[in-house]
Amino acid sequence: MIQTIVYGFTIGAILYFFSVGLALTFGTMRIINFAHGMVYAVGVYLFIAFLKVFDDSFLLALAASVIVMLPVAYLIERFIIRRLYGEGLDYAIIATYGVLLIGTDAIKMLWGTTSQPVNDPVGISIEVADFGLPVYRIAIFICAVVLFLALRLFFKRSIIGKIVIAALEDSDGVRCLGLDVNKYFSIIFVLGSALAVLGGILYAPISSAEPYMGFHILLLAFAVVIVGGMGNLNGTFIAALALGMVMAITGRFWSQAANAMVFIVMALVLIVRSRRLTQD
Amino acid sequence: MNMPADLRAVSHLARSLSPLSRPPRWKIFGELALIVVGILLLSTTIKLHWLTDFIIFFIIVLSFDLLYGYMGHLSFGHMLYYGAGAYGTGLFLVNAGKNPIAALFVGVAVAAILSAVLGLIVMRTHGASFALINMAFNEIGFFIIRSPLAKFTRGDDGLSCNAEKLFGIVDLNDDLSAFLFVGIVLLLVFAFLRVLTTSPFGILVRSIKENEKRVAFFGYDTFRSKWIVFVISSTLAALAGGIFTLVRGFLSPQVISPFGNVEVIFAVLIGGAGNLYGALIGGAIFMLIKNFLPVAIPELSKVVGVKLPQWEMWLGIILLIIVFAMRKGVVGVIRTQWHYRFRVARNAP
Repeated sequence: MIQTIVYGFTIGAILYFFSVGLALTFGTMRIINFAHGMVYAVGVYLFIAFLKVFDDSFLLALAASVIVMLPVAYLIERFIIRRLYGEGLDYAIIATYGVLLIGTDAIKMLWGTTSQPVNDPVGISIEVADFGLPVYRIAIFICAVVLFLALRLFFKRSIIGKIVIAALEDSDGVRCLGLDVNKYFSIIFVLGSALAVLGGILYAPISSAEPYMGFHILLLAFAVVIVGGMGNLNGTFIAALALGMVMAITGRFWSQAANAMVFIVMALVLIVRSRRLTQD
Repeated sequence: MNMPADLRAVSHLARSLSPLSRPPRWKIFGELALIVVGILLLSTTIKLHWLTDFIIFFIIVLSFDLLYGYMGHLSFGHMLYYGAGAYGTGLFLVNAGKNPIAALFVGVAVAAILSAVLGLIVMRTHGASFALINMAFNEIGFFIIRSPLAKFTRGDDGLSCNAEKLFGIVDLNDDLSAFLFVGIVLLLVFAFLRVLTTSPFGILVRSIKENEKRVAFFGYDTFRSKWIVFVISSTLAALAGGIFTLVRGFLSPQVISPFGNVEVIFAVLIGGAGNLYGALIGGAIFMLIKNFLPVAIPELSKVVGVKLPQWEMWLGIILLIIVFAMRKGVVGVIRTQWHYRFRVARNAP
């Protein structure tokens, strides 16, 4: 049982890393961003490539791949996402999905279609009640909590964070103050993409990398964003952990039901919320 | 020419509302003849076996175009109804009887009831919520077919189901008769959708796409209209699923996989949404990309000597081009050119 709880927290932590960027893009710009999955997957594959360059130094490879993905994310924001502000939902989905397809195919061309395992960088387990608990999983969870607190501080205290929160509420109002909202949005977009890459790399030793990893996590992350409330950071954190837990617990009893359970929760939340929306 | 987009749409709607400009019924036969010619042209390059798959895909795309193109509701869960129709038909064939018409009827009815119930829920949401709640239901359906119903559907192993001859004469396992059967269904679906979309109800549906609040303000029950369109669209998708089962005789959970939705959406957008020709042309282009590029690219790479990107990348590039350069799809571009050449240029002083 302890193992299940730890596994749930790990999955939840990774989902949180991935969903933060998605929730921010969705909350600020009303764009469902499939390109997030592309940044995530390509980041992990770059990390695997860098591992060879840096003699299996986990942290160096991590830093290098995040740094390489920053300009990629900026270019996606600048030339694709920014042109779609205020457009219909559908065109944003199609364009970012196109980016995701291009990224997936690039991965398949460069690294092949087989999944690539990554070694656990810590490799120690502690014995708790006859179970081996990998320290690495606990470390991931701690990382997620630290990230959550850091983001809270960032959005509460820093000027950029405050502007973005204001723009989440009313971007036209912020524009009227003479601030270039787009600039802040691209900062947030790049930040979110970097976090997705980070989450992907942290997850890679547990799950191993495969070209379609971006697709799979995207669907779960949408559920997190919906359950957490679009653009609500605290909600995203709680929803990610809760859904991770739902997956781990269902997975323990009925492994095939894990994904479906997440979507059942999502459907219920949407039904309840839409009823509230139609009332006013 | 420089009218704002929504005003142009409204004036277009107003013109189609006037009884004088309603297309005459005989025009539909011309259109159907055009489709037959198009399919015959396709048949010169493709094997008949594949063409049947193409036509089944066209029916799904047409049904999705009614929901998305005409009513503006983007769904990520259309394959649920396609899969429900396919599995309903298949399970009937395996467990109850071999009569293809009865099986098809049961499969479509199951999917229609399912969509009628779920439609009550999903049609209360809008925009992103609508797209994602449909995806959630599709994902749940995919799971139900694979796991709890695995005793009946044999899960990922797939289900083989053979029907007896149609009306005792037509053998659907034969390529040519399967093709003719599927082709006739396509023509019927097209004619039905043409009549529906040009009828007053169809115009009401298009008005909902432009501005739902205003339509509700005129006293129409928009929820009921939206629900009806959802059920019709899902039922047509289920019909496509049912005939897929009859023609192929084999089902795997792939038919209900949520990833199929994306293909349907792409096909509608490549051709041009809100336009029945667009659905057909987009479906044809998409299927050609999907079926030919994986074969053509390796051969081409051998000729060029460089490893070329696979079809997914080309599809991605095409999608970006559509979004940034050809919003109205292939048919939209052709139509604008046509309009300019033959209407504007002729009327110019």
